[in-house]
Amino acid sequence: MSKIGITTTGMGETTVNLKKDHTQFFVFVLPLLFILFFLLYPILITVLRSFMGTGSKFNLSKLTLSGYEKFFTTKLYTSSLKNSLIVATSVTLGTILIGVPMGYFVARVKIPGKKLMLSLGILPMIMPSFIGAFSWIILLGNNGILRYAFNFILKPFGLEMPSIYGMFGMIFCMILTYFPYVFLLAEGAFSGANALLEDAAMLMGARKLRVFRTITLPLILPSLGASALLVFVRAIGNFGIPAVIGRQVYTLPTLIYFRVNGFVDYNGASSIAVVNCIITGLVLWFQKSYVKKREYETVSATHTEIKQHEHPVAKILAFLFCLIILILSLAPQITIIVMSFFEKWYGLLPEGFTWENYAVIPRTSSKELFNSFFLSMSATLLSALLGSILAYITERKKPFGAGFLDFAIMLPFILPGTVVSVALISAFARGSIIRLGGTYTIIIISYMIRRTPYTYRSVVASLSQLNPSLEEASTIAGASWFRTFRKVSVPLILPGIVSGAILTFTTLLQELSTTILLYSPKTRTIPVQIYIQVAENSLGRASALSTVLFIVVFIVVYFTNKSRKFSMTSGFKM
Amino acid sequence: MSLSLAYQNVDKVYQSRGKKESAMVHALKNVSFTINPGELFCLLGPSGCGKTTLLRSTAGLEDITGGKILYGDVDMSIIPPYKRNIGMVFQSFALYPHMNLFENVAYGLRVRKLPNDEVRKKVEAVMELVGLQEELKRNPFPTALSGGQQQRVAIARALVYDPEILLLDEPLANLDAKLRRYMRAEIRRIQKATNITTIFVTHDQEEAMAVGDRLAVMKRGVVEQIGTSDELYTAPDNTFVANFIGKMNFFKGVLSGEKTVRIDETRLSVTVEPQNIRTNGLAMKGDKVFFGARPEMLEVSKNNESGNGIPGKVIIIQHLGQVVRYEVVLDSDITVQNVEIDMPHMVKEISENDHVFIKVREGRGFVFLPEVSNQ
Repeated sequence: MSKIGITTTGMGETTVNLKKDHTQFFVFVLPLLFILFFLLYPILITVLRSFMGTGSKFNLSKLTLSGYEKFFTTKLYTSSLKNSLIVATSVTLGTILIGVPMGYFVARVKIPGKKLMLSLGILPMIMPSFIGAFSWIILLGNNGILRYAFNFILKPFGLEMPSIYGMFGMIFCMILTYFPYVFLLAEGAFSGANALLEDAAMLMGARKLRVFRTITLPLILPSLGASALLVFVRAIGNFGIPAVIGRQVYTLPTLIYFRVNGFVDYNGASSIAVVNCIITGLVLWFQKSYVKKREYETVSATHTEIKQHEHPVAKILAFLFCLIILILSLAPQITIIVMSFFEKWYGLLPEGFTWENYAVIPRTSSKELFNSFFLSMSATLLSALLGSILAYITERKKPFGAGFLDFAIMLPFILPGTVVSVALISAFARGSIIRLGGTYTIIIISYMIRRTPYTYRSVVASLSQLNPSLEEASTIAGASWFRTFRKVSVPLILPGIVSGAILTFTTLLQELSTTILLYSPKTRTIPVQIYIQVAENSLGRASALSTVLFIVVFIVVYFTNKSRKFSMTSGFKM
Repeated sequence: MSLSLAYQNVDKVYQSRGKKESAMVHALKNVSFTINPGELFCLLGPSGCGKTTLLRSTAGLEDITGGKILYGDVDMSIIPPYKRNIGMVFQSFALYPHMNLFENVAYGLRVRKLPNDEVRKKVEAVMELVGLQEELKRNPFPTALSGGQQQRVAIARALVYDPEILLLDEPLANLDAKLRRYMRAEIRRIQKATNITTIFVTHDQEEAMAVGDRLAVMKRGVVEQIGTSDELYTAPDNTFVANFIGKMNFFKGVLSGEKTVRIDETRLSVTVEPQNIRTNGLAMKGDKVFFGARPEMLEVSKNNESGNGIPGKVIIIQHLGQVVRYEVVLDSDITVQNVEIDMPHMVKEISENDHVFIKVREGRGFVFLPEVSNQ
């Protein structure tokens, strides 16, 4: 036992010479309070409100199940729930059917342009999904160019191409939006797999197809399952696509919007939000208890390069498959850019070339541009701070209840944006203790709640690779906790913080599903304005604004990917 | 019945991404030798010598650029790996984390579509051979096994379908020192029990000498020498083999007679047994040669009583149990490397940093062509 700092004098009289370092305590308490007050409290209020009748004030003595009964009695509710489940299930299956083969082709078949395919593959993930949806209206809508072309061919046969509006369109657009989640993961798994495991099977007499069926696929199945479930959760929470092309086909997020915007019925919206939460919660529970346990460590210690298929037929087929998918998933972006220079586009070609769509931006959208940048930037900085501190607490300090804390932080990652806004409105709107309705603050808070998981995951990933002895060495050398944190921990996890922050910023610039329920005329953002313009059918102006968004996002992402220090992928994981 | 495995002028060239001439790596150069049926054959050499490439080419995991690999009369290099009927144990064991013990071992049998009861019988038999009967009853996943047990599973998995050839790629490298010594005896026991022609790749000369019936020492894609452990130790063909199989000290010298070498910078003349002159007849009287002596062929003493000692200074004294090793630095014109000398006992009057004299024991030592040994 060392006696440094402690001297015992006489009977039980102990003098502690060390001053206790309290900085740590304050740094940790503030983020925890934030989580408690702006995440857990609103969720509690939402759950309570969901048991209150439509239109009734916040009153704990009159609880009822009427909000939930509607799911069995009202046709709109029943069909919305059914639609959501159909869409999410089909989208999950569709992304697997597209993403897994494409991942395999890019990883294991010798085809040109692999790097380009991988970087273009990220685009649908960082581009706002509702912009993709409205560009498909241009291509496949009632007067869409592709539909026009298809119908021209199909007419003699008495057939007609279905319009993009409705169920088909939603599933189609969401598959193209979410397939990269499966594609990028499958590609990584197929190319990073331990080649020796496959070599061993081959030596034991297994042919290629058998090796794939019994070794390659089973090994990546669990992590593939995780990404498929993430797609499910994302699809069921997506607001933009059903809002733009769902028309009369409602899903849970659009139903929530309908209750809040049409009827100002927070209690009713809360019930729908809770149902939405229960579904995502079940999926997450399934993932944690079945899928996660079976994930295998398959990274090989000795790096042997995986052999690639070189058969010309395989090469051509694989290349064509990837090319078609990429063209489909990039068609929206191209359409939008073309559209932004024209007045209208009904039928085969756009008509009326004009600069007007861009020229009006300073007049119509300068406030929205400011709002978008201001809100995204402040929320990014704050959530980077919040996320890294929280990551540090759960990963390094492992306090009592770290598991719950981790769950609480990651919760908004899977919660639909509309649910988060409903929770925040019902807690802080009219008649509550703190009134934040219509302010910048409530939007920033909602952004922080929703995006902190990005930085959090990213930092947890870099912290877990960081040997604690680096920090211990600093402490032993006499540095205080704060100095160690500042001089050792932060510089080492900085790449994690920065990549999380960049992901946060680019996705926030296009955020719609939360903002749509929280904005006021003062705090309107660019995506909201695009959404309104689409609803008013001024597609040219919407396209011009979307193009501006693309360019900003693309520049940020391009320069991030160029400096190889940052990896954007760890922020995407559950 | 096993057949012999013959390598005929095997060449392997790796073409790196750049298409320039300099991007080529010549991993195997004109390798030719034959492994006898039922033999436990070791491929030994430093990392990058081509031993693993040769093994993977035998398995068909690499295509050879030239030459033939004959099993009996059949050229194996045109048969796809899954038809070669070869068993292989990888350094990392490559056990399947998604299959339990039984299914891991049974994999090769399942591929061969054996009926279930026969699969069970064969797996049980091979697990008994490797000593894992008890573990098979619990049938855990491989991650729940210790390193030594995983090793046994990997061997069982490679043996269960009675392969023609067994390949072992540094199978002991992932085990700790004590287990390594035990498992190498186990591997020899199992190989002798099954009598399958086996190639064992390692960079550890002690392991190779302990396990192999015969050894091939490789360096930069070339086979330097093939022989039994005893042949390689007592009659190495060149300085590389001499210093890779055990330790050999080299002294610069001149061939002064048919059986004598005069060591440079001294008036010392050493007599060497005729079979220990390993120059292949290429060195004439008066040519420069290397005189080689293993640590146990040298003596160290405080005084130069006989007058034919080489002066030097003790750097380190290590007690290794059976012997005491003295590391001595000599005049750099005689040898650049420190000389290691093994004495059966501690020499009382010598301590570190003392000036001493080295003597060659009567009639011991080798003569080699002067090559730069960069082992």
